[in-house]
Amino acid sequence: MRSGRAARQARKLSGAPSRAGRGRRLLAAGCAAAGLAVLAAACGPASGAASGPPHPTDTSTVTYALQPTTQATYIFPFVGATKPGSDFSVYNINDFQYQLYRPLYWFGHGVSPVLNPDLSIAYPPTYSGNQVTIKLKSTFKWSNGEPVDAQDVVFWMNMMTAENNLGNGYIGSSPGDLPSDVTNVRAVSQYEVTMNIVGPYSEAWFTNNQLSQITPMPIAWDVTASGPAHCATSVADCAAVYKYLDQQASSVSSYGTSKLWGVVDGPWKVQSLDSQGNLTMLFNDKYSGPVAPHHITKLIEVPFTTEGAEYNVLQDPTGSQVIDVGYLPTVDAPVPPAGADVGANPSSLPDYTLSPVYPWEIAYFPYDYSNPTSGPIFKQLYFREAFQDLVDQEGVISGPLHGYGKPGIGPVGDYPVTSYLSPALARKGDPWTLNIPAAKLLLSEHGWRQPAGGGPLTCADPGTGPKQCGPGVQAGAALNFNFIYASGQDFMESAARELASNASLAGMQINLTAEPFDDVVGAAFSATDHSWDLAEWGSWTYDPDYLPTGETLFQTNAPNNAGGYSDQTNDADITATLDARTPDAFSQAMYKWQDYLAGQLPVVYMPIRPVLTEAIKGLDIGVQNSALMITPEMWFYR
Amino acid sequence: MTAYVSRRGLQAVVVLLIVTLIVFGLLSLAPGSPASASLGPGSAHRPFLLAYLTWLNRAVQGNLGFSPRLNVSVASLLAASLPRTLVLTGVSTVLALVIAIPVGLLQAVRRGTAADHVLRGLTVLCYGTPAVVLGSVLVLFLAVDPPHVFGAEGPQAPGIAAVITDVRDMTLPVCTLTLVTVGIFARYMRSSALDSLSQDYVEAARARGAGEQRVIVAHVLRNSLVPVVTLLGLSLPQIVGGAVLVEGLFNIKGMGWQLWQAALRHDVPVTLGFTLIVAVAAILGSLLADIGYAFLDPRVRHAQP
Repeated sequence: MRSGRAARQARKLSGAPSRAGRGRRLLAAGCAAAGLAVLAAACGPASGAASGPPHPTDTSTVTYALQPTTQATYIFPFVGATKPGSDFSVYNINDFQYQLYRPLYWFGHGVSPVLNPDLSIAYPPTYSGNQVTIKLKSTFKWSNGEPVDAQDVVFWMNMMTAENNLGNGYIGSSPGDLPSDVTNVRAVSQYEVTMNIVGPYSEAWFTNNQLSQITPMPIAWDVTASGPAHCATSVADCAAVYKYLDQQASSVSSYGTSKLWGVVDGPWKVQSLDSQGNLTMLFNDKYSGPVAPHHITKLIEVPFTTEGAEYNVLQDPTGSQVIDVGYLPTVDAPVPPAGADVGANPSSLPDYTLSPVYPWEIAYFPYDYSNPTSGPIFKQLYFREAFQDLVDQEGVISGPLHGYGKPGIGPVGDYPVTSYLSPALARKGDPWTLNIPAAKLLLSEHGWRQPAGGGPLTCADPGTGPKQCGPGVQAGAALNFNFIYASGQDFMESAARELASNASLAGMQINLTAEPFDDVVGAAFSATDHSWDLAEWGSWTYDPDYLPTGETLFQTNAPNNAGGYSDQTNDADITATLDARTPDAFSQAMYKWQDYLAGQLPVVYMPIRPVLTEAIKGLDIGVQNSALMITPEMWFYR
Repeated sequence: MTAYVSRRGLQAVVVLLIVTLIVFGLLSLAPGSPASASLGPGSAHRPFLLAYLTWLNRAVQGNLGFSPRLNVSVASLLAASLPRTLVLTGVSTVLALVIAIPVGLLQAVRRGTAADHVLRGLTVLCYGTPAVVLGSVLVLFLAVDPPHVFGAEGPQAPGIAAVITDVRDMTLPVCTLTLVTVGIFARYMRSSALDSLSQDYVEAARARGAGEQRVIVAHVLRNSLVPVVTLLGLSLPQIVGGAVLVEGLFNIKGMGWQLWQAALRHDVPVTLGFTLIVAVAAILGSLLADIGYAFLDPRVRHAQP
């Protein structure tokens, strides 16, 4: 799974200045007028000052605004576990690498985060017993004329094996995943690969969460500094090849001229990428996948310092840099009418069309169950129920999110709606609406009392009885928690303050600390750092394991189980999903697992938020992909 | 004068070495040492002093390291960021001085008059308005609203020539910084000129029959500039370090913004390299201010160390 929200986190981290509201604007305008008068002579009218109609559109080029503070950083698609997490982000993988080097299987069909056979290099896999067969389409070619074939897949698998053995496995793979769960990976013909799966498995899981990690690599990359190598046929050569390719990828300024990286099977080639993150890609005429008839031929990705800066540029159609595809900061979005998914565009953007896309993700923040002080409290279900009662998801959505959000209801994303979501949960919706009296009642019923000297509630009735504080909770333990959250998220600043306020009304003290995104993630996923009790970094995007099974986030000792949640029933239910052989059995197992775990509240559910995309009028970018995969080769000007 | 400058130059070098040692030491305490981040794998266990000297040796040769987060050399990032910041803050500082010196002098000469009150109010307003608020207002009225007189973001084309010639896009960020800075300079200039006006040598000049214009220009202005020169010297690190909020608002990936981002992502080589440049600017600014005193006030250059 990819922390796809990292892109948006980074944007928030940039500390985008708040844009002045209308009233404030008038006040500030008066103040500034005097200063402007002083400076009038100094600044003078600018030469080339422009006004009038929007810019004439270059119908072959699209300028695409990246999320603030993000930029392409690494071209080699095999991102090792020792590389910075930013190399494995939506903006580096989806917006950059996948445009050049196509994954074996493409996910995202309209808004649905499912396998898209049309855009995949291979046909859907077939399973026979424990053997999976991958048949590649013979139409796909590398830009050097060679076919994209079975050996290119084995090249990737061999690289996975070699680097896994060196502790630098593919960053998108969890322990026990590829390549550990397969043997005998073979190219049985030019376009056919087979591998044997170790142990029981679910076909859906294997396709969506295992094979989704593979990106074929051209034989042109099977080289070291001393010449051709044989990683595609022998794992022994792969360490040296990886080292060479990683070194070749270590300078972004060389990407545009590198013969190595110029061998692509995707629709785009790098023309230039500078240290500031300005990326220009040209259409690969030899791309053999589907394209729009009158598609664009140049894609320029431009970085921004803050979302406010991006929004300013979006509103200036006469600027030297006009954005064709950008995004609207939520704080600037007019609230949509009740029941509508999309509201009106701001009046300052008459030349754009607004379309929100909800990423395929869940938003939550974990409890630190391993915390020696607060961990025993978090292990009590009544406490977690009380805490969720204090989270005003609807209030966050209607307030700081300006109506753009969907409440989290369980361990599986509920928007976009998929067949993975339990029908029972979908029917029930969000049962944890703000209810401070209910939270207070739950706590008082379990032995929590206000101390005589004031302060947060403390455990006055320790013990394991149904009306006591619960196992492990000591007498005098206080409901006093440290909540760290990623700084720069405008909505989260408000949400965290409101949560602390609600909690104080229920007798809890929450100490808020905003920290850089990397620090929050570093603490939350550390097994030894217990300086926090609650940690919020944004959300978790299902990518490149698109099936929302819980083995990565919620299974005991799972690598990304931040906070260390553990529940035997949950573990057994997750295993059942992974082992279910038929689609029907898989669905039933998924529903059983979710129905149980949703009520266990292993984490604090938060609303998911959309990306509010703005496309310049006349440009058709199609239906946006909830897996956040962009397909600019399908974009065209009408 | 030469001996004075040489002496101060040597002191500056020593201070610079101490500053780099302190910065390197502080960053060593951060997760992931600068030694390993700057010098590559295998260097983490080198003694601190050896690691520092290795880094310093490379820095002197122009090799400031490599950012593994961005996959770019610190030097290339610096080369892309520094010109933008120098133009932005350099031009705005010069403009601020050009405006502030006569304004401050006028206020002092016309002390207590309506002109003084009005100008004092304006300078306090400039000084007290956060740059980001001021900049947002300017963008709203002059870039976002029709007829879009100026650009909403700073120049994006690479190279210093493109930055300098893009007047339309550079105007608002420069004006924002100028307005904020002019308030500070003008306040200093007014106070200093008032002080000068009350000195005996001004009375003496008038008693000798010097015209008011000559008194103001030759006696008051020159002596009043000493504190402003101090302020200017202290501004040099800001000129190089950039104005992070203004850069962020106007999408200028300059020194300040890059340094801020590097600190947030724990990008030690970039943090260290950029801090070094800002430290050099701070010391250079102090040195230039000292030389400026010596130029303006002969007592300084003739004084013993």
